[in-house]
Parts: sequence; C-alpha cells; structure tokens
Amino acid sequence: MFRSFFFKKVLPAGPCHAKPSTGCGILRAMPRFPSFALPLPLLACLAASLALPAGAATQCPAHFAAGSAPVVTNPKLQARTQEVCFEAFAVLHSGISRTPLYSAEHLTRANLEAAQDLSRKDSFHPESSLPAQDRAELKDYARSGYDRGHMSPNADFATRSAQAESFSLANMVPQVHANNAGIWAGIEGATRQLALQEGELYVVSGPAFIGSDIKQIGRVLVPTHVWKVLYSPKQQRAGAYVVTNDETREYSSLSVADLEKMVGISLLPGLPQKVRDAGMELPKPVSPHDRKGKGKKGQGGQGGQPAEEEFTLKDFSRSILDAIGRAIKH
Amino acid sequence: MTEQFKPYANEADVIRIGDLEIENRVDRVTLTGNIVLSRDKAGLALAKELQALVEGVVKALEADKALPEAVEVRQAQSVKNPFA
Repeated sequence: MFRSFFFKKVLPAGPCHAKPSTGCGILRAMPRFPSFALPLPLLACLAASLALPAGAATQCPAHFAAGSAPVVTNPKLQARTQEVCFEAFAVLHSGISRTPLYSAEHLTRANLEAAQDLSRKDSFHPESSLPAQDRAELKDYARSGYDRGHMSPNADFATRSAQAESFSLANMVPQVHANNAGIWAGIEGATRQLALQEGELYVVSGPAFIGSDIKQIGRVLVPTHVWKVLYSPKQQRAGAYVVTNDETREYSSLSVADLEKMVGISLLPGLPQKVRDAGMELPKPVSPHDRKGKGKKGQGGQGGQPAEEEFTLKDFSRSILDAIGRAIKH
Repeated sequence: MTEQFKPYANEADVIRIGDLEIENRVDRVTLTGNIVLSRDKAGLALAKELQALVEGVVKALEADKALPEAVEVRQAQSVKNPFA
C-alpha cells in the first residue's frame, strides 16, 4: 500500500514508464527525490545510490549493477526510446527498431533455485504500456521465419508473473531459430550456471544493428548481432558474449568497453572503467542437453558438460573491431 | 494442457512438455529443448501429452486442403540502418 501510494505521489509523468513491480517501488523514486523522508532501512540504499556515478534515469535501479541504468551514447539510438520496468528485468525499448536496445536483470542463486519449475503455459504478447505506433505486434513476426528471441530469458525468473512478463515483445528481437535454440540458449545456460556458482550476476542483453543496411520484418528491425554482458560482483570482472544473428556456432568474447563502442550504449555506467576495460573469462556455452543451466543430474548423463566441440570461441580481433568502429562512425 | 493448444491457430501460445518448449506460429509449430520419457508413470504421462500434441499437429495439417509443399516465408526487406 505504502509503496504504491508513495510511488504515485512523487513520480511525475516522465519518459520512463513503470509497470507495477514487486521489488523496487520505493527505490525507483530515490535518485530523483533524495530529500524525501524515507523509511530507515532504505536510507543506506539511498546513500549508496547517491555515491555512485550517474546512470540514465530509471524507475527500477534494482535491476542494474550499482543501481545505474545504461546510458545511450549514440544519439541516433536515443530517439523514441522508453524504459519499461518489469518485476524481474528492465528494458530500454526503441520505437525505431521496435525491439529492446537492452534488457537488464540481476540473477541471484536464490531466484534461480526458485525458478526450477517453469510455467506450463505462456503467451507472447505486444507490450501494452508502449505507444501503439512504437511497439512490435505479433503480426510483425508472423510468417517471417524468425523466432521471437528473448533478451532476458524466461527460465531466469523465479515467479510465474515474472516469467509471463518475459514474453512481452518489448523483450524480444527477431532471431534466427538455429541461433536462438543453439548457441544463444547455450550462453543463457552458461550464464545461469555461473550465477548459481557465484551467488549473483548482473546481466544485460541486447541486439546490435551494424552496417549500412538492415533487414526488417513487418515493422521490426532484425539485429545483425546479439550480445550478453555479464558482471560478476564476486570477481569484480565483466565481459560480453557477442554472436552474429545467424546459424553460427561461434561466439566472441569482448570487454564491456569494446562492446559499448560497438553498440553505442554505455552498458555498465556504475562500474569503474578498469572493470569495463579488463574483460572476463566467460564460461563456455552449455550443451543443448543442459541448456537450462541448472546443473541437473541423473537425466541422461550429459547434463552439465561444457559443449567444447559444439560452440567455439572465435578471436574477435582488433582489426574486426576497428572495422566495426569505422562502419558505425564513432 | 495440449487440449488448449490449437496448432497454427495463433502467434501467442507457448506450452511446455518436460523441458520441451512448444511455440505456436501461424506457419509453424516449433519444439525446442529436450524431453526425457522415463520408464515410469511420469514418463507415460509426458508421452501421452506429446502424443496429443503431435496428433493435433497432424490433424491440423491433414485438414488443410491447400497444404503447400513448402511453407512460404515473407522475405525480409532491406532498409537503411537508422542507427548508423
């Protein structure tokens, strides 16, 4: 009660749209209204958030590392963007691509362990909180041959309501099926396994649109690449998987700083530059036999094996990065 | 579960049988993931669900009088990259 009252009272209509959410009703308001009297347990969080470098304005800082939302640095990406806060993840949605530009989540061991059972039935749906002209509709994807590829995957979420929300088209990009069901699922599984091992991870996932021409299905742009950033608070390291949106079985490992240049978004603005520059040893994508990444045992004997021959790390050399840099004219 | 799933009827439905995720599209039904049909009562229950699903798919395809040799996909357009 108090949360929704507080939230409605203090937050003016702004560029950010918030869905009713369980975790961060009060936290949302804090960075903008630091002088409000807040319940005592939250004062520590408030102090922490004030001490951090500024991210973009957000109504759900709990989903972001250091409470700082990514900052769009390519001004062309900024047009017609809107944040949508969900229970367990947040997206910045573009009305130009009609996809998320990123989808961010905080994975914890407790939530992943609670997520053992997925709902038996879900529904892909357009995001009703977005303006009709800016959002993707189911018909944009129909008969396109492309999957509706989750950026924050439903299997990450502990509650049925969070899982159901992950089927919003605001969390989807057109993705080649073999990619979505193959290496991307392997990356998602490896990410969950690492979060289970370490206790928590901050994850940001999204599309890249690289090159002079882009494919479009219906009114939705088809990304050339998809990427996933992992930040490990335990290791104090961060790195990114990048794959082309095709039938590839190869992935690249980039530092966050290099990925940020590639996509035109400062993805972890709350973290020290040295963490963003250093990269991280990413776990190998898991095999399709254990892509839920929950370390299941006793089901066929193949669970948990790294798919070393299935998915291979490609050297994403400096020269390729420089070529991308020139192509996107940074 | 499977009785509520009408193959090819919409672009929205997702159901799960075991770790198999079944997605409804108007031009395809995709089954992604894996399923273990163990030699026990749970295995039998899953097998029956899978059977009902596949029967529904076969029935829907057989009922389509204009079933093509190969489904046609709308070609993606090529547009100038608005972000470049």
